[in-house]
Amino acid sequence: MRLTKDTGPPVKPVRGRGDSALTRLLESRWLGWLGLALALAAPLVIATPYALNVMTSAAIFVMLAVGLNIVVGYCGLLDLGYAAFFAVGAYTSGVLATRLDVPLLATLPAVLAVTVVAGVVIGAPTLRLRSDYLAIVTLGFGEIIRIVATNLTVTGGPSGIYGIPGLFGDATSGAAVFYYVTVLIVAVAVLLAARLGRSRIGRAWRFIREDEDAAEAMGVHTYRTKLAAYVAGAVWGGMAGVLFGAHLSAISPASFTFLQSALVVMAVVLGGMGSTPGVVIGAVVISVVPELLRDLADYRFFAFGVLLIVVMILRPQGLWPHRSRETPHTAARSKGTDHAPG
Amino acid sequence: MSQLVWNGLFVGSFYALVALGYSMVYGVIKLLNFAHGDLYMLGAFSGFAMLGALGGLVRSQSLLALLLVLVATMLVTGLAGMALERVAYRPLRGAPRLSLLITAVGASFALEYGTRAAAGADPRVYQVRLGGTTLHVLGARVTVQQLVLVAIAVALMVALHRLVTSSRQGRAMRAIALDPVAARLMGIDVDAVIARTFFLGSALAGAAGVMAGGYYGKIDFLMGFIIGLKAFTAAVIGGIGNIPGTMLGGLLLGLLESFGTDLLGGEWRDVFAFGCLILFLTVRPTGLLGERVTERV
Amino acid sequence: MRTRRVILTFALVTTVSTACGQGLLGGGSKEEEKGPILVGMDIPLSGDSAEIGPYMRNGAQLAVDEINGKGGVLGRKLQLRVEDDACDPRTAVAAANKLVSAGVKVSVSGYCSGATLPTLPIFDRARIPMIIPVANSAELPAQKLRHVFLINGTGDQQAAAAFRWLAKEGAKKVAVMHDNTSYSKDIAVRTATELDRSGAPDKSVLEAVTPKESDYSAAVTSVLKGNPDYIYWTGYYAEGGLLIRQFKQAGYKGRFLVGDGSVATKLAEIAGGKNAEGVYATMTPTPETLQGAESWKAAYKQKFNADPGPYSTQAYDGVRLAAEAVRKAGSTDGGKIVTALETMEGFTLFSGPLKFTPQHTITGGFEIQVVKDGRFVLKEKI
Repeated sequence: MRLTKDTGPPVKPVRGRGDSALTRLLESRWLGWLGLALALAAPLVIATPYALNVMTSAAIFVMLAVGLNIVVGYCGLLDLGYAAFFAVGAYTSGVLATRLDVPLLATLPAVLAVTVVAGVVIGAPTLRLRSDYLAIVTLGFGEIIRIVATNLTVTGGPSGIYGIPGLFGDATSGAAVFYYVTVLIVAVAVLLAARLGRSRIGRAWRFIREDEDAAEAMGVHTYRTKLAAYVAGAVWGGMAGVLFGAHLSAISPASFTFLQSALVVMAVVLGGMGSTPGVVIGAVVISVVPELLRDLADYRFFAFGVLLIVVMILRPQGLWPHRSRETPHTAARSKGTDHAPG
Repeated sequence: MSQLVWNGLFVGSFYALVALGYSMVYGVIKLLNFAHGDLYMLGAFSGFAMLGALGGLVRSQSLLALLLVLVATMLVTGLAGMALERVAYRPLRGAPRLSLLITAVGASFALEYGTRAAAGADPRVYQVRLGGTTLHVLGARVTVQQLVLVAIAVALMVALHRLVTSSRQGRAMRAIALDPVAARLMGIDVDAVIARTFFLGSALAGAAGVMAGGYYGKIDFLMGFIIGLKAFTAAVIGGIGNIPGTMLGGLLLGLLESFGTDLLGGEWRDVFAFGCLILFLTVRPTGLLGERVTERV
Repeated sequence: MRTRRVILTFALVTTVSTACGQGLLGGGSKEEEKGPILVGMDIPLSGDSAEIGPYMRNGAQLAVDEINGKGGVLGRKLQLRVEDDACDPRTAVAAANKLVSAGVKVSVSGYCSGATLPTLPIFDRARIPMIIPVANSAELPAQKLRHVFLINGTGDQQAAAAFRWLAKEGAKKVAVMHDNTSYSKDIAVRTATELDRSGAPDKSVLEAVTPKESDYSAAVTSVLKGNPDYIYWTGYYAEGGLLIRQFKQAGYKGRFLVGDGSVATKLAEIAGGKNAEGVYATMTPTPETLQGAESWKAAYKQKFNADPGPYSTQAYDGVRLAAEAVRKAGSTDGGKIVTALETMEGFTLFSGPLKFTPQHTITGGFEIQVVKDGRFVLKEKI
């Protein structure tokens, strides 16, 4: 038994049994559509302001988690300061929209530019570091961004920015409309992230996660590829930040603490690193469960903590771990090398 | 100037004491134990409960009572650390390493809000307060109590270092850190050694908790959060997994904060400290005394 | 084929849901006008300010029980509905929406300004009057929302009171310290600006500390370099107690003034021994300093087996005010309650007779208190 072995998502060949109905269901292509249909249908079941608010928050959180999944899940870089990008996006759009009266949608190019720059600035000096050093440096950056936002006057200091308009300029366009727009945007983001994971660069990311040195030896420019993952993650985070600002109408540094970053990481790991459906479910669980536990009042976070431990013990690979797509042919071929040195 | 150095060293010795537990656990099973700061909090609260139980003795012999409680608390938090390992970490050996991060955060929530349920959200005030005779050393204001606490911290750290470098126990720990499979094949009871590692690290955190309670006086259920973060930082600066490095890292972080406050003001202190940390790590990516290792996330 | 299945599922879900009646296609439930009147309360019960929540909840509960004991309002009982906002905007918004969905008629909510700001439009849009018992940063009334009222003294009023006191005391150099939360920083910056602008007391330094830590020696050393003879701390009691103790240990001989967040007996306990004796505070009147309020304290103590703490009185007053407004409006209609609040006169809070300004804030009411035998007592009105 290996104590510290990083198995990552296990590459298990499908042994002996043919695809069961369940497997077919889970692997089928219209799974994503089913999820989207569920999200779209949910307000028909319950549409109290509270339910809509919780669901919108969850959708935004899904976007964050999918973005971080690019960095942590695909590429294997532990980022403990993801809230920094979230904050950069939210503040950029918030400042432009409230101080310069730019419509929120018009701030998107600026947000895109700023988050890319932020991704490069934070990533460039740190991505040569490995795992835990990277973790602490990203944590440091996350804290720096939050403290700077607290101290500057342009970001509104500790009370932050308020009066951020809705996506279409009108703050009163209704919670249900906003929910549907958010769900559609997030669905596109999830789809894009999933496609990215299966693209050429996606394969390079997974290669780096599995073995960085081997990837380098095989001609993958690891530094540049990692930076790409970082920038992609930053863009997703920044866009989620815009939605977040539009949703709450006010942002303050209290939303971008280390705890927030940790929660996003938890969503990714809880769902199953690298697995898009897993991460989506993980994000929904992490953002909705504390709300469901509200009735426990003072015991809310105690119960949440215990629940996390129990779930992880029962499903150590995550709720819905990633499985590599393998044909029986390649599976048979890789069988002998299953226990490659780690 | 010398006052700034002393302030930094004093705070830094607390960071170092807590960081050691982080570092040891990381060294042996490569786990970022995010609940470690909460063991510090647990130590402060169990010390508080024991002082309450001692009652009369506290009033007549306060320093003695505090020392007694310190030792007893180290036992309590040590056992709590072992229990934590048993419940939240051992079932996940062999799972992806980040899964342990989740249980660690879960354990942290459970400890914090469990304490909140048991002791209330309002800060508590320690029964014993170490006031102080003030000495002037090289222009810095130093109290006898501070010296005693630093002495205790240093003694604990030296003892730990001796234990790890020259006892059988320590050799077993280091063997597991190098290669757990080979260590098991060599007849080391890996589970037991890991449990003992948790015991030691948590006991040190508990000691730091009681010391902080006795010196600063105020304890609350979230007191472990910030120091846990700082200890993690200190452990990484020093070279995580390396005991002398971790001590140096703690002291260095204390100094950085002290000078950062002086140069830029309190609100920019952490920006200064983390900024230095990032610069430092880009120049020396393995920390002060860490070794270069190839590994994967 | 696939598309058809999707449509089928969708249709199925829709059918099931519409039956439930709470969805977008549902009819919406009828207003319940018989049961108790729900009073909502968003306060921190977890997170960094978790210690304040219970004090406020108890204060509010005391008011609810008193009013119900006298037969309630409009023949209906009051019922308190508390939700945790964790001092975090996202949680606060969820909590506010939960209260709105639960059908509260009045909201007595708001402790952290940053978390309270995004909840204002929610209550306002739902036409639910919101009485903010504690949060008091200038951004709150600046939104000019019709349903929002503040009953705590605002930052500029407190800063003005602090400045008058410092001038009166003949302070020469004042160090102003805050904890970088919006409430505390607001008061500190306003006081510092005032000190910079006018003659007599000068500002020596404006310094911030990080809340929830234990060791503030770095900040203490840095502040003492400027040789202040007065220190004004605008944050909360936990850090305030530690600061007072650490300043005394570092040999500071001057005086202290603290803001209303520090007015709690815990401040003196944390400072230890006699360290907090003679510390002054800028504060609105509390049961401690009002004559005839002993019975209130006794009632609180008897009910919750604890002393009232910071902002218990504001929460208590907030609920009483809400009940009075409903009574005066003769209905639970938001607009009528707002009118009742706007025209309210002669209703007495702990801080004095209430009269809202056109900005929906109250005026003045600060006094100076001093620590005597570990408790804050009235020094003088200012």
